Amino acid sequence: MSEIAEAVGDGVLPGRVWLYANYHCNLTCTYCLTESAPKVAKRELGAQRMLEVAAQARALGFTSLGVTGGEPFLLSYLTETIIEMAEMLPIVVLTNGTLFTRARLEEARGLTGAPVAIQISLDSADPVANDTMRGPENFRRVVAAIDALVARGVRVRIATTAEHIDEHELERLCQLHRGLGVADEDHIVRPILRRGRAIDSGLGVDTDLIDLPPELTITADGAYWSPFGPTVHGGRLDTDLLVSRTTSPLDKPANILLRLVQGRARGDDAKLDIR
Amino acid sequence: MELLDARRAPLLARPFFEGGDPGAIASAMAHVPEVLDATMPFLVQMFGPSALPARTKELVILRTSALLDCRYCIQSHSIAARDAGLAREEVLALRGDGPLGDQFTDRAERALLDWVDGVAGSTGPVPPEIGEALMSHFAEPDVIELTLLAGTTMMLNRFCTALGLPTSQAALARLAEDGLL
Repeated sequence: MSEIAEAVGDGVLPGRVWLYANYHCNLTCTYCLTESAPKVAKRELGAQRMLEVAAQARALGFTSLGVTGGEPFLLSYLTETIIEMAEMLPIVVLTNGTLFTRARLEEARGLTGAPVAIQISLDSADPVANDTMRGPENFRRVVAAIDALVARGVRVRIATTAEHIDEHELERLCQLHRGLGVADEDHIVRPILRRGRAIDSGLGVDTDLIDLPPELTITADGAYWSPFGPTVHGGRLDTDLLVSRTTSPLDKPANILLRLVQGRARGDDAKLDIR
Repeated sequence: MELLDARRAPLLARPFFEGGDPGAIASAMAHVPEVLDATMPFLVQMFGPSALPARTKELVILRTSALLDCRYCIQSHSIAARDAGLAREEVLALRGDGPLGDQFTDRAERALLDWVDGVAGSTGPVPPEIGEALMSHFAEPDVIELTLLAGTTMMLNRFCTALGLPTSQAALARLAEDGLL
């Protein structure tokens, strides 16, 4: 058993490896950590590299994968790549949910029954409040996508990112996702982090290592402490949570991450509920 | 070339920033933290206290840096050499701003400077008579360490020169004070 497998088994390291598939996005959300937008640098990882990371992660003893961006579904090869990755490890794919055209939904049939969850961002049950943060028509498109994916037997999770959410708002949101066929355990609520565009929008909470679970995150630019690490501000990639520029073979950044985790002061990362 | 500061220092680089500004070389290398993490202990060992006297080491470093015309290293190690006890005139001579022969009459130091000129001032093997002269004054482990020191200095000379690393304001002020700018 590798040292990494042992650390994952003992709960010292989280089991999930994240991959930043790309950085560009069809939306320009006010709190986006990576300042993603249609015309930013793509920083694309590529299908081949994604498959390599998945294979190496499994061999090392990691237990699941996450794919994020940018908007991963802007990549024509994404669905096919996810299906192949899911043969190696269970996978969650984060998306804004606005690109599920009829053709894309047909492709998504390949995800049915696979250990794949599509995690879609939905920030409010109020279309106006949601669209203020995420752009015009976002609410309508997202609700339609969730409905269509669930109807095709694809597991959908909903992620709500919010500055504040009161009980009444949360209840409205929960009624909405339950009505769409998404169970309570597949709804996560998380805070806005003060990184990326959230800094300029005056949103979010400050974070450091103690707040962020050490989930190995692979990007085109290097390996990071967490998927909340490889953020962009002022068009410049943040480096404060960079683990290593080397990402292959995966055991190199994984072992550095483990070394950093073992050297970290003990703390409670639960209070900000960042996931 | 951005020199990372403490706020942007990657995780493996953070310890090097804990005592304040770690200098331009570490701040540049911090872009590749795993390289910084591996390189700094080596550089500290090579340039810090060791079995060789500080004066001897600074002769090698400053002479090598002058031969490779590295502005950053010449300026930084003019200060280090002064701190190691070298006279201002000796520093100037090592930098090529004065005759070496007038300042360095000790036979061991002359043999060492000839060796450094052979290592860093030309390509190909160092002439055997220069090696033999060095070996008559220094033990084998010393020769190994001195040669590695010259080679390590050459590596940093090219790194600093190619990237145009800036000399710190504090170092420039000290050099001005010493008439070495």
